[in-house]
Order: sequence, then C-alpha cells, then structure tokens
Amino acid sequence: MMRSPAVPVRDTVAHVIGRLLAAIMLVTGPFFITVVVAAPPDRAAGVSDDIAATFRERNGAVFKDWTRPQFLLVITGQLDGYIEPCGCTGKENQKGGLSRRQNFLRAVAAADWPMVSVDLGNQVKRFGRQTEIKFQSIADGLRQMGYAAVGFGPGDLRLPAEELVAAVAAVGDQPTPFVSANVGLLGLDANITPRFRVIDTGGIKIGITTVLGDEEASRVRNDAIEVVPAAKALEVVAGELAAAGCTHQILLSWASPAETKNLAEQFPQFDVVVTAGGADEPAATLPTLSTKAKFVELGHKGMYAVAIGFFADQPTVRSQRVPLDARWGESVDMIKLLAAYQSQLESLGLDGLGLQAIRHPTGRRFAGSTACADCHQEAYDIWKETPHATALVTLEEQRPRRDGDPECLSCHVVGWAPQRFEPFEGGFSGMATTPNLAHQGCENCHGPAAAHAAVERGDVRASTAERDALRSALAMTIDTPEGREKVIANCLECHDLDNSPNFDFDEYWPAVEHSDDASAAAEAQLQ
Amino acid sequence: MAGVALVAGVAIGAGSAVLEATLRPWRVGDFLAVDRPSDAPAPQADVPETTHHFGSVGSGEKGQHAFVIHNRGVAPLVLTRGATSCTCTVSDLGPSTESGDGASEAAAEKTVPPGGETTVSIQWTGKGSGGPFRQQATVVTNDPRRPEIAFVIEGTVVPTWKAVPDLVTLPKLSTKSDAVATTTIFTYGDEPPHVDSLAAIDDRTKEFFTISSTPLSETERAREPEATGGFAVTVAVKPGLPIGPLRQTVRMVFRIPEEITAEIPIEGSVAGDISFTGQKWDATRQRLVLGQVSSRTGLNTTFFITARGPNRELVRPVISDVVPSSLVVEVGAAEPIGTGAVLRIPLTVTIPPGSPTANHLGSEQAPSGRIVLTTGLPDSPTVSLPVSVVIGP
Repeated sequence: MMRSPAVPVRDTVAHVIGRLLAAIMLVTGPFFITVVVAAPPDRAAGVSDDIAATFRERNGAVFKDWTRPQFLLVITGQLDGYIEPCGCTGKENQKGGLSRRQNFLRAVAAADWPMVSVDLGNQVKRFGRQTEIKFQSIADGLRQMGYAAVGFGPGDLRLPAEELVAAVAAVGDQPTPFVSANVGLLGLDANITPRFRVIDTGGIKIGITTVLGDEEASRVRNDAIEVVPAAKALEVVAGELAAAGCTHQILLSWASPAETKNLAEQFPQFDVVVTAGGADEPAATLPTLSTKAKFVELGHKGMYAVAIGFFADQPTVRSQRVPLDARWGESVDMIKLLAAYQSQLESLGLDGLGLQAIRHPTGRRFAGSTACADCHQEAYDIWKETPHATALVTLEEQRPRRDGDPECLSCHVVGWAPQRFEPFEGGFSGMATTPNLAHQGCENCHGPAAAHAAVERGDVRASTAERDALRSALAMTIDTPEGREKVIANCLECHDLDNSPNFDFDEYWPAVEHSDDASAAAEAQLQ
Repeated sequence: MAGVALVAGVAIGAGSAVLEATLRPWRVGDFLAVDRPSDAPAPQADVPETTHHFGSVGSGEKGQHAFVIHNRGVAPLVLTRGATSCTCTVSDLGPSTESGDGASEAAAEKTVPPGGETTVSIQWTGKGSGGPFRQQATVVTNDPRRPEIAFVIEGTVVPTWKAVPDLVTLPKLSTKSDAVATTTIFTYGDEPPHVDSLAAIDDRTKEFFTISSTPLSETERAREPEATGGFAVTVAVKPGLPIGPLRQTVRMVFRIPEEITAEIPIEGSVAGDISFTGQKWDATRQRLVLGQVSSRTGLNTTFFITARGPNRELVRPVISDVVPSSLVVEVGAAEPIGTGAVLRIPLTVTIPPGSPTANHLGSEQAPSGRIVLTTGLPDSPTVSLPVSVVIGP
C-alpha cells in the first residue's frame, strides 16, 4: 500500500482553513454572487451568447476583468440626429441609437453598479419641424433613461428657442435634465435650465456642468438664446460646485478639443473633461491632461458611450469605450418612443412638416419607372429584380415602419433630394397620389423623364433635335472617366458613409448592370 | 440560514481538506491572489509602437502602416486578428523573421518564434467629410501578460472643401425685419479659392436674398490648420417673406484651381411678431395645457411671450378675458434676451386653492377655456389663447 508523502503541518492548517472558506462560499455563494458580485455588464438581458460573442469579437470586449466601481460615469453625446442607426445595410452592422443605449444603461443598473449618466449634447443637426419633433423625442428618451445632465450642442441651438423650451422644460415635478453654465434659453435669467447639477450617489457628491465654447457660441444665430463667454460662466459655477463639496467635478464642453483643454487648464478642479469634435470614434485609453483630468472624446453619431469607473483602490479610475452594437439588443421603451416619433411624422404629413417641393435642377418632372419600361424593357426587367425595385417596401416592413419619415423616404422613392430629405416638384408625395414613383427608380439616376416619355409616346410634338436633346440628357455612361465619376457621385448620394459604409461601385455595379437597350435597338433599326 | 451554511461549510470543508491533504500537499501560496508568472514557458509580446500618427490624407485616400511585434519570450507567440473599426483592416499578419523553427504564414493567424519578430499591417481609408480621424485594430495574442494589443491609427482627413456651419439657419425671422447669417467656406486645394458665382437658386423666394462673399483673413483661415484658403458667405434677407417654413439654397461655383460647384442649404422659419412658449404650452396644438388641477391645491405656472421684430417694444400685453374665471393671469415685465433683438414677457397663471370645479378639456361637451389679451401691436391687437384645464375637487 502506497503512503502519501509527509505533509508539513503549516500547509495542512492553511489547507483546512482554505477549504472551510471555500465550502462556506459554496453554500452561500449564490447569495453573494447575486447581491454582491454580479458579473460586469457585457450585454443586455436576453441577448444570446452567440450574438454577444459575435460583437465582442467584432468590436471588442467591454468591462473585461472589471469589479464593481464606487460609481460608473457614463458619458454620451454628439448623437447628431442618429436617433437609431440606419437599417439600410442591416442595422445589426451599425452602432448607436437610443434603444441600445437604454439597454446598456439598464445592464449597468442590473449589475448593481452605481451610475451617473451625462450627455454632451447635439442631439440633432438639421432644422425644421421634423428636427424639432426629433429633438423633443430624444429629450423625452433622455428623461426616461434618467440622465443627470445634458448639454446643448450647436445643432440643438439652431432650433427656435421656443421649441427648445417646450422640449427641455421641467415636466411636473421632474426637473429638466438639461444643464448649461452659459446658455440661457429665453435668457439666462429666465432659469429654464439650471447652470449645474450636484448628484449624490452612494454618499459621493458629483458636480456636473456643461458649456458651449466661445467659437461655437459665435456661430449661434438665435436671438432668443443668450450665451455668455464660457470661462466667465464657469468662474461662477466652479465656485458653487466647490461650495457644494463635490468629490468629483465633471465638465461637458461643447468646444473643439483645443478650446476645451484651454478651459480645463483654467479650471483645474474638473477631474473629467469631455470635449466635442475630435475623431470619429473615442480613444480606447483616455488621455490625462496636465491638470490630471481625464480627457474624453466621444466619437460621432452616438455610436459609443464612454464609461469611467471610480474605485476606492488602485487603480482608482478605469475607463471603457462601449460600442453600442447589437449585443445590447432593443429596448421596448425606446422602440415605443421611436414608434410615437414615426407616428407624429406620418400624421403631420409632408405639408405639416413644412416640406415644400423644390425645383429639380433640370426643371423637369418625373414619369415613374413603368413609363421607362415601354421602350427600355430589358433594363427595366433587370431593375425589377434588384432591391432598388422594392426600396419602399423595406421601409414599410420596418418596426416601427419608416415610410412616413422624410429622412428615410428620400432614398427609397423617386424624385427626392437624397441629402436634403425633401421632394422635388412632381416627386413622390405618397402611395395614394404617386404610386408610380415608389421605390428607387430609373429617374433617380438618369434624371426626370416625363418630357422624354411624352415625346417618345407622341403625346407632345417635338423636333428631332428636341427629342434627341431629351434623350441625351438622360443618358449615362461609365465608359469615360467623367461619366464614371458622375455615375458614382450619383450612387453616393444614397450609398453614403452612414447608410452604405461598404459601398464600392465596382462591387455593387454588377448587381444592377444594364445597358442602353432601347438606343441599341433604335440604332439596329436604322441599319 | 447563516447557521445552516456555517455547519454545512465546516462539515464539507473539513472532510474535503482531509481527503485533499492526503492526495496533494498544499501551500500557503495556493490561496493568495498573486499575479505571478507561470513557470511554464511563455511568449512575450513586445511592441515598440501602438499608435501611428499619419498626418493628413485626402478624403477617400487609402493609407497603410506596419507595426512591429517582437517575441521576447521563450515560447512561440501566436497572433490572431481581433476587433477592428469599420474602415480599418488588418492585412495578413506579415512575414516574420525566421528564428530556428520557422513560422506559419496563415493569413489570419501568425506564429512568431522566440526571439523573432513580425509586422502587422493596417490599412485604412480616409472616409468622411474631413476632420480628425481615429481607427483601431486589435490583435489577440497568447502572451498571458498581454492577451490583446490595440493598434491605433490617428490623423486628419482633408476634404476638398467644407462649410462651417454646413447649414445656414434663420430661426423665427420676423416678417418685418431684415436678417443676416453667415457661413465660412474652407478650401483645401493647391490655390486659394476664386469665387465665380454665388446665388440663391429657388426662384420662389430668391428676390429676398442677397448673397455675397469675402476672402478669409489669415487668422480666420488658420482656424482650420489644413485649409489653404477660404471665404465667408454672407446671406442677407430682406423683410417680407411669408410666415411659415423657409427653405432656400446657395449655389457656389469656385476654383481651387479645379472648379467646384457646391450647395449650402438655408433653412429657417418666418414667424409673427409674438410667439408663446413654456412648460405647459403645447407648441404643436398652440394651446396652454394645464391638465387636471385639484381645487384643493390649485396651480401656479409661468409661460412666456417672446416678441421680435421692429415693433417688439410696442408689445404690452393686457389681459382682457379669461375662462374659467378662476384663472388669475399676471403679466410680468418685458426683459430683453441677450442682445435685445427679442423680448421675453412672462405670464404667470394661477388657479387659487378653493377655485370652483370646471371642465374645459377642449371637447364638444367641454369647450376649451381661453386667455384673451390685447398685445399692443397695431396689426394683431387681440390674441385668444386656448386653455385645456379640468379643475376637480
């Protein structure tokens, strides 16, 4: 019979103690795991392992090896109107949107991490009734998500002050989340928004304020909004934050990185300084300024959140950029908010949204793709089999449907200016009135063809020269450098970086390739 | 619960300790969370550079940089592709220097022998409308001390031209006032821009617009360090545009020296001399929504009149009628906002505690209440504001 080697007494004692501790943890572990050491938030509830693994691999892991911080500061901003990522090329392939953002915040809350969320601002970037409604919807969403502070960006401040007041004002007993040290809607002394906010989370006082940089302020052309110089406003606010005994002070600065750094040096008490501008995605590691403040860029279009964890032990600060991708799933509440937004757009209609048809640069009007089929049957048959021919259906099938949204319609129907989100005269105005202009049809590339079709049908008399001029105006070629450049520029009006980031003409063209069959036939006839 | 756990823990722990101690000797260090290197042979990734500043590239241009990775360890270093940004690609992980036992040439995985080195080539395309650019590519390693290496590409994408701001906005223009707005065009060509033409192109309102340009001073141009020139575009609007949304487009033709045709949208709205806003002002339905109010507690809220245009100083609201009659409306003093082009006049609405019940929800059976005021303006002397309110017990 073999004997075990001799075991030193000291090791045996340690062994027994260790085992006892392990066993106690075995029995009581689930309780502690649930209450004390919940796993770091790495996905939304209900998201599968496969989805989580796919996007972890694609965009990087989040909160890997993190322990529960004293509190987590979540910073977002520069949404730039991207209330959701465009679904044109598969929403799952793109980052951003309020729905994923809310689920990320909920995952942090579910992990029982104390959290303060703030937003730099610039929810929108355009103008008009749709932008006003969008801003209102986003403001409602930020309220629902429990934001502690939200700043103003220059896109927001393009909107009429009266509309901004309606969107940001306190609702009942719920204070407005919007905060600014130096921007006053209807004047600073109207006190529509506070200059700063102090949050107490777990006994830690966090002071937060926002400013609009002087360079951006000089571009605000909105008489009902008062903006005072950023440094002057911060002098007042910094004193109040210091008096409030804040442990941490956060500055959200809508200014260029250079201007923000300048402010940070003037006010070294801020230990987190967030800037506008900067690169299209945030840095993986936050730089530290000479003031020891962490300097945060957010990237563009709300694709990322930046999270900073504060800890009692070293390292006392850790940061994580969080790609808002499909691992965060969809939030039912934000989907409802988006549905309400779409419903408002639909009920207002194009007139209610103040969209006036603009004249096409050629001055001509549209015929619809079926009119082209009379002569260009072969090209039409090819088009009919492409996704272009069902472009509007893709909007109708979205949940919520998007076929009332001009920002989507402009690339899914005939006769709109894609980058201006407004119709040309005689362009698509609705399925009830212009069903022939549904989908991404022939004339969006070749140009309005009503006059050409009328002449070819014999509805309108024209000289041979006039007829040929109408024909040649619609002709396109990729056989010359100039022609190819023109064709590609036209494609890029819709296949832009936001909606078709992987667009490559040479790869995409074979899927829609067609030739001028009618002209070829006409030439053959002549011969 | 804690007692049961303690007893069970002691029993399980003691039993397993005796069993385990007879099978394998344990050491104190087994229970310490010390991050110490394993005794097993391990690779060691050494990367002299993880961030590459490429300077600037034109929009659409491609760039490439090779990062070097040394293996200072004593075991083969295995590299595989990790997460990358959408416009960044990691090419074949590059040829490695041979160091005795050869190296794998798999496209997505690379093995670097001890003492060897390899390169990771990262390509990017300067997409977008210009500005700072940052992309990141991650390489996953089997070095236990450095399981991931993030390589960062930073620089600036230079467009052909850009407008700051990219949209000229004129929010709530007065029908009776003229207005001016500007945008700055920065250009990045070989020569400073020569402006050939500037025009408002929508025939319906072009008569109200005068568009002009002035070259940028050196100080102004220097705001965009990469710019080689630029000009300011001034949009002057005459009074008389109809109330409602305003859309126009400036078309510019300039040479740098290649000819550029560019369009800048002008968007705005033309409003009357007075507007209303506030927490309980419904801008869509243009009514004051006070909602359900308890007669016991009453209500106090403030909303605002904003007055703009040349007659703004004439605005002197006087309340002439209110429904329900229990509403108390007080007009505050007019205060200029900012530069004084707009005046703000607060209207404080009070429903005193003890007010009689009333239903003015705005239905057929319960028609809306109202606040009627005289404005002081000659062309719209009286305004009636609908009020939705239900005063309950």
